[in-house]
Amino acid sequence: MSGSERKLNLNAFLAASGHHEASWRHADTQPERGVDIKHYLKLTQIAERGLLDSVFLADGYWAGSGSLEPFTMLSALAAATKHIGLIATVETTYNQPFHIARKFASLDHISKGRAGWNIVTGAGPAAEQFSREQHPEHHDRYESAEEFVEIVKQLWDSWEDDALPNDKISGILIDEAKVHTIDYAGKYFKVKGPLNIARPPQGYPVLVQAGSSETGKEFAAKLAEVIFTAQLTFEEAAAFYKDVKLRLAKYGRTTDQLKILPGLSPILADTEAEAQDLENELFALIDHEGAIKRLSGRLGVDLSNHSLDDLVNLDGAQTTDQVSGMKSRHQLILDLVEREQPTLRQLINRLAGARGHFTFTGTPLQLADVIEKWFKNGAADGFNVMPQVYPSGLERFVDKVIPELQNRGLFRTSYEEQTLRGNLGLARPTNSWQAKKTEEEVHS
Amino acid sequence: MSEASRKVHLNVFLRATGHHAGAWRHPDARPDLELDIDYLGQLARIAERGKLDSVFLADGYAGGGSKLEPFTLLAALASVTEHIGLIATVGTVYNDPFHVARQFASLDHISSGRAGWNIVTGAGSAAHNFSRDEHPEHAQRYETGEEFVEVVKQLWDSWEDDALIFDKKAGKLLDANKVHEINFKGHTYSVKGPLNIPRPPQGYPVLVQAGSSEQGKELAAKTAEVIFTAQQTFDAGRAFYYDVKSRLAKYGRTVDGLVILPGLAPIVADTEAEAREIEEELHAFVDTRRALDSLSERFTVNLNDYPLDAPVPLGKAKPAEEFNGIRSRQEVIIDAARRESFTIRQLLYRSNGGHGHITFTGSVLQTADFIEKWFKNHAADGFNVLPQLFPTGLETFVDKVIPELQNRGLFRTEYEGKTLRDSLGLQRPANTRHLQQI
Repeated sequence: MSGSERKLNLNAFLAASGHHEASWRHADTQPERGVDIKHYLKLTQIAERGLLDSVFLADGYWAGSGSLEPFTMLSALAAATKHIGLIATVETTYNQPFHIARKFASLDHISKGRAGWNIVTGAGPAAEQFSREQHPEHHDRYESAEEFVEIVKQLWDSWEDDALPNDKISGILIDEAKVHTIDYAGKYFKVKGPLNIARPPQGYPVLVQAGSSETGKEFAAKLAEVIFTAQLTFEEAAAFYKDVKLRLAKYGRTTDQLKILPGLSPILADTEAEAQDLENELFALIDHEGAIKRLSGRLGVDLSNHSLDDLVNLDGAQTTDQVSGMKSRHQLILDLVEREQPTLRQLINRLAGARGHFTFTGTPLQLADVIEKWFKNGAADGFNVMPQVYPSGLERFVDKVIPELQNRGLFRTSYEEQTLRGNLGLARPTNSWQAKKTEEEVHS
Repeated sequence: MSEASRKVHLNVFLRATGHHAGAWRHPDARPDLELDIDYLGQLARIAERGKLDSVFLADGYAGGGSKLEPFTLLAALASVTEHIGLIATVGTVYNDPFHVARQFASLDHISSGRAGWNIVTGAGSAAHNFSRDEHPEHAQRYETGEEFVEVVKQLWDSWEDDALIFDKKAGKLLDANKVHEINFKGHTYSVKGPLNIPRPPQGYPVLVQAGSSEQGKELAAKTAEVIFTAQQTFDAGRAFYYDVKSRLAKYGRTVDGLVILPGLAPIVADTEAEAREIEEELHAFVDTRRALDSLSERFTVNLNDYPLDAPVPLGKAKPAEEFNGIRSRQEVIIDAARRESFTIRQLLYRSNGGHGHITFTGSVLQTADFIEKWFKNHAADGFNVLPQLFPTGLETFVDKVIPELQNRGLFRTEYEGKTLRDSLGLQRPANTRHLQQI
């Protein structure tokens, strides 16, 4: 793709009240609509009005404040939207490849080619929900995840694209020669196939990856098409971007086959002063006791007696090698403390905006400048937008920032394609059975 | 419930093309729209126009052609309908209770209380898709299935109905004392909980059961609120109805807490002659040899070895005890062949039309008579309707049979409430956590 036609890709990370941890207490939000599908439909329709590439849901298997389940929620949203991509986080450790291949295929058919899968390996507490003694180690999780994804792709390919002639006259509904068992037998899974649903419209739903550890980066370079990542500074983002894009060649991939979308968590207002006021309102609503407890747990050090206004002292905190999950996020916090030398209050405020993603407080023009800088200087292909307050933060982004980006020629003015893959500029993968046949024809 | 106020309950067993084996080849059928949500949405809205209680999806994890997955499909249908119940079949053997509890809770929230779960244990061929070497035995499947359902109910109850407070001022989002771990430890499952979604609007989505074996009937009497069953004759239907309803008392349940809906695969037209024509048309689309092959599998005898108009070779069929598949369906087929002295052709035609469910071809009035007879004589609380041809079979049923039933005072003219439980006249279960505290 030539530099002049390169366009931003933008995803909205959905949440009930917003990505600021205290947003649910803000007057603009409606936390009581946390499991109300109409609330999320409204958010998704705002994002679609802004021509965003996709909406995205995080997920996990512990209680929190309760949320809808991604497959059911995105299917419901699919039926009431037309263009916007629908990306679900689904982890590989506590699921079965057959079920996941099938549900994504179904969501892709229901949405006519708008599904995406954010592949994560999962977090520890989930083991106890699934009759398991313990959460597997980092290395094993990634190894089994690779197997899991391989099976899912083979299942999606188990129906060739033209396996359903639906020929009423000859009485041939399915061309059985084009539906294949996969007979996969690996270290972690054994799956016979075929899948019980035809190949997804996109071939494969878009594959997204969100871990930024060393293993995560390699995993992404090998098979992801979009990366969501948390980068706190332009320099770090540019280094990450270069690092990951350079890894693609060894897997025979080109740099435009993987879109890197750092998280961007904005607070927007018409003037900088108003945006600052809004940020202060949110800071004032933070539950410091709870935040200290979470931070202590995350870093493996007891901060309960630490004064809020003293410089953060992390003596005794776990190193990144010592933690088993969320490695890259752990390192990000350690780096932040070393770089900025914050007080505990400042650190809590810094993380409250979006749990370690890049936050921004200012005007739409200032934000457009930041986006343009990252995009044009090799730090991002676009952003995973995480408004700190929903729905108002998303509305402002769509109504004020998007037109500015369009004026600068950086963002689409209408949806280019029917599918998420098409809008992201990603090719539809060829069915592996059909590819094999073509190859045989060439060689015969 | 008094006999006078008792009303027929109707579910439609949703398929893109129809329940007749030849339906997809009929000019009215749209096999090309099997995966098209707009088309399936239209079908659901036709059923809703007819004020039916619910739509229902069968399911399995091996073979069976290409179909949408039930949770995703029903969640999408929830978006384009307002009243109709949405019942998904989900098997217990190859699933995790946490995922299933969560997905049903989510569907129930998305649909504002219209979800139902048809609980099946699952079929054997699926084992190979889930890293397993073999399918568990019938008895073990049921034991594990019971434990599975118990875990799911406890997870639904892990949030008390008023656990969420949303007190912005006090900074209290939820009352942590009202969200409970379940710490379940059974033979097969150990699940800590709580679930990660608040209690479903219906408390529990409606629990449906479709196995009619001895174990299936006992499990239904203990836990189910709706039964889908295959009954090939009125007498068999009445015996089944009496049998299952009689079992309820020992579990402290009343007869109206369990709604019995036999399958009914109708071909309806204004006149009987027209209906017969449609039936003949449909049979002509079926490849007899292949259909007999698949029937032979269930029957465990190769029916292609016999002339089509010969009597069904009952003596050669394998006894049900040695059959590790859907046992009750196997019994139903043999039983019907015996009771009605079927020829192979008759057996084939019944099987073509309703895959084990009773078929009926007739006029609008005859169809209403059929329903009234079963309903009033306690062979059924209503029907699981399996139109042999979609969309026309469903449209005729909704636009002609429903008004006739309404005229006879047998069917609702408006939805009674908001939830599937309301339509079925079922109570919302109290939260067991809450009960324990009282």
